[in-house]
Amino acid sequence: MSDVRPVDFPPPWSPAEAVAPPTDPVDERIEVGFLVVGAGPAGLAAAIRLGQLLEEHPEQAERLGDVPVAVLEKGKAPGSHLLSGAVVNPRGLQRLFAGRKRLDELPFLGPVHGESVLFLTKRRALRIPTPPTMVNRHNHVASLSQLGRWLAEEAEALGATILPETSAERLIIDGGRVVGVRTGDRGRGRAGEELGNFEPGSDVTARVTILAEGTQGHLTGAALERFGLRGENPQVWALGVKEVWKVARPLDRVVHTMGWPLRPGRRYREFGGSFIYPMGDDMVTVGLVVGLDYRDAELSVHDLLQELKTHPRVRRILDGGERVQWGAKTIPEGGFVALPKRFHAPGLLLCGDGVGLVNVPALKGIHYAIESGRLAAEAAWRTLERGVSARTALATYDESLRQSFIWKELREVRNMRQAFGRGFYLGGALAGAMTASKGRFPPGDARTERDAEHSLFTTDRAASYPAPDGQLTFDKLSSVFASGNRTRDDQPNHIRIQTRVPRELAELWAHLCPAQVYEVGGADGDGTVEVKLAPSNCVQCGAITAKGGRLTPPEGGSGPEYTLT
Amino acid sequence: MAKTLVFLEHHEGVVQKGSLGVLAKAAQTGGDVAGIVIGSGVRAAAEGVGGTVWVADDERLAAPLPQPRVDVIAKLVRDEGYENVLFGQSVLAADVAAGLAARLGAGLNWGLVDFDGERGRAPALQDTVVVDVGWSTPVRIGVFRAGALDPADLAAAPDVREAVVELEDFSSAAEMVEQAHAEQQGPSIEDADVIVAGGRGLGEPEKFALAEDLAQALGGAVAATRAVVDAGWYPYSAQVGQTGKTVSPRLYVALGISGAIQHKVGMQGSNVIVSINKDPNAPIFEYSDLGVVGDLHEIVPKLVELVRARRS
Repeated sequence: MSDVRPVDFPPPWSPAEAVAPPTDPVDERIEVGFLVVGAGPAGLAAAIRLGQLLEEHPEQAERLGDVPVAVLEKGKAPGSHLLSGAVVNPRGLQRLFAGRKRLDELPFLGPVHGESVLFLTKRRALRIPTPPTMVNRHNHVASLSQLGRWLAEEAEALGATILPETSAERLIIDGGRVVGVRTGDRGRGRAGEELGNFEPGSDVTARVTILAEGTQGHLTGAALERFGLRGENPQVWALGVKEVWKVARPLDRVVHTMGWPLRPGRRYREFGGSFIYPMGDDMVTVGLVVGLDYRDAELSVHDLLQELKTHPRVRRILDGGERVQWGAKTIPEGGFVALPKRFHAPGLLLCGDGVGLVNVPALKGIHYAIESGRLAAEAAWRTLERGVSARTALATYDESLRQSFIWKELREVRNMRQAFGRGFYLGGALAGAMTASKGRFPPGDARTERDAEHSLFTTDRAASYPAPDGQLTFDKLSSVFASGNRTRDDQPNHIRIQTRVPRELAELWAHLCPAQVYEVGGADGDGTVEVKLAPSNCVQCGAITAKGGRLTPPEGGSGPEYTLT
Repeated sequence: MAKTLVFLEHHEGVVQKGSLGVLAKAAQTGGDVAGIVIGSGVRAAAEGVGGTVWVADDERLAAPLPQPRVDVIAKLVRDEGYENVLFGQSVLAADVAAGLAARLGAGLNWGLVDFDGERGRAPALQDTVVVDVGWSTPVRIGVFRAGALDPADLAAAPDVREAVVELEDFSSAAEMVEQAHAEQQGPSIEDADVIVAGGRGLGEPEKFALAEDLAQALGGAVAATRAVVDAGWYPYSAQVGQTGKTVSPRLYVALGISGAIQHKVGMQGSNVIVSINKDPNAPIFEYSDLGVVGDLHEIVPKLVELVRARRS
């Protein structure tokens, strides 16, 4: 067994690169009232709540200038980079739209009518009782991408300005306080040279900046470092890959599977499972999520999803259908013990997936994102109140978060994810005990280890992946196409990795990446190999950041263009 | 029957193949069809087209700037009652079509591959389906995808008519400072009848000479896949595919190209696709008219010899 660990080959990148003083002179900066980074459920909930408050207090409008609320979005449009299961707990949206929208006015694809949890072996499926944390009665199936587009329209109707195709590249700090962000340049060539259509980025300044960047947030990570906000335990992630299918027959229930094609042994550290959800009568989504603390260099979540689809029980659902979309994204899985110490800094609030507000045993985070965005908006608004200092106002965000249902629920399940590091069966038993005792047993807090700290090995795992047939199973490149990705090829590389590494690590990256960004090149003669990159394939899932590299935002508008995920 | 006007783009007095293809398509729809040539000293070009062609010949129209062209076309559409204005896709055509749509409050559909006088067809969802597109405005503006149509002989006597040139003040605000062309030998890949494309199967950058030899023998142009452009083997201007150029030559020869869908969408409109690849499972064979499983390093030099022998 080798002792190669991704963490020993850190990317040529430092969080300080994402923090800078203002660049533009004062009169050239773009001034907005409140600035939200990221048009996902957290950011758009914040923008919507701010819009509602502005509607209720029109007298404050003057103090917020021409653009009271701006939302930056790196994707082509709101929703382009949003991907989730998703079965949504409507609680977050109901609180956000209390007294304004009925449940049946929300953009759901249908309520959950029935559910099955299956334990799979290679050929069989055993129905097991639904774990209490996973019961989905009263929840609704949705496409997060569609939900994002709908939220963006609501936010715009309430006066927010949404700026798509705009990446937030650096956090602007002036006098120890966050005053806004600098947006990314556009129109640079591969070597960074200015092309004919070059447009420099701008400093966008605001009285409060709300970071809602989602998983692996670029500026969120920099802010946690810069302001010393990291908690005691490092964040850990899982990678989810999913497909949307048009199907011949409707699926009447949501299905979750555990077991095959993941291996139960403790040494493999393969924690995860699949989800199969109906999207109305004629579509189904099927996805597989695997914790990135795994160790086998040949593990590929994309190829495991292809393998999963060959299981008789899954194939039956998809038979006669056609794949219409594909996508991938990481999920923060550290839970309660990996939360930051604080969720605010001078001029700054942090929400949603960026700070790990995800309930892993319940497979839910969208309602937490929405609730945290709503609470962040209310704290930001308090900076307008007379006699309240900005510091005091923003600190109320932490207080309200700690009193929210998010905190209570995350606390109850705080040790569950780590238990599965002990293998599937023991982990499952421990998780049951934790649920029954509402988190009181076993006592104490489990710890997390960084995903990149686990040493690698290979077990010839790739040999079992099915050969793509273009009907049921697909290769990575045609899947990237199905994500809608058409990124300009001749832009600077946005992925930071060491390009001469031990073979195991190069193999890990090549298999890890669902979008075929990394390729193992020739040996260099000193025991290392060269890693070749095709950055324009990238769907910005963030897996590389968990496993020893660093994803930075490419030119705005790049990446996938999800519509149904 | 609808009245249709086709923008005929010219470079240094030569009307572009793409525009002539659009004119041929318009003629098929029946009705009253005319072209328009705009520029300075372009009468001869207009006469060479055949059929009814408006000509706006004026020194102020010498530079290929969009706004003065919008002025000319907008006036002609209003005076003559044209219902359809069609373009072949290019940088200039995109600017003029967009400006004209704004000026006339007319609907604009992009990337058309077909048009019947009232409705069009255009690929959607990244070329996986072709959908019907329509207009809800009295004037319909359409921009055809580059290379989507073949020019045809109109065989009609030239009938050149003078278009009135009245320019708006604001249209002269822009002036041409400089015009530069990428240096290239042989036909550009968008215009070539024959394309020889090379992929990673060539093995190394020097082996592009094989593709160049074959292209030269066939009188065609050389194209490349994203993988080899990425690797720096060939310039980006030769890239065919989703993020490169879309081509539709009469003959497309693919050398060592596996044929991922990202490549396919850039060349699937080719008339005849011939591929040589040593991997019998390469996806390109699924959409080739002729597939050769074998070593291109042996096959191509012999093919070049044979083509040369046949030609001489």
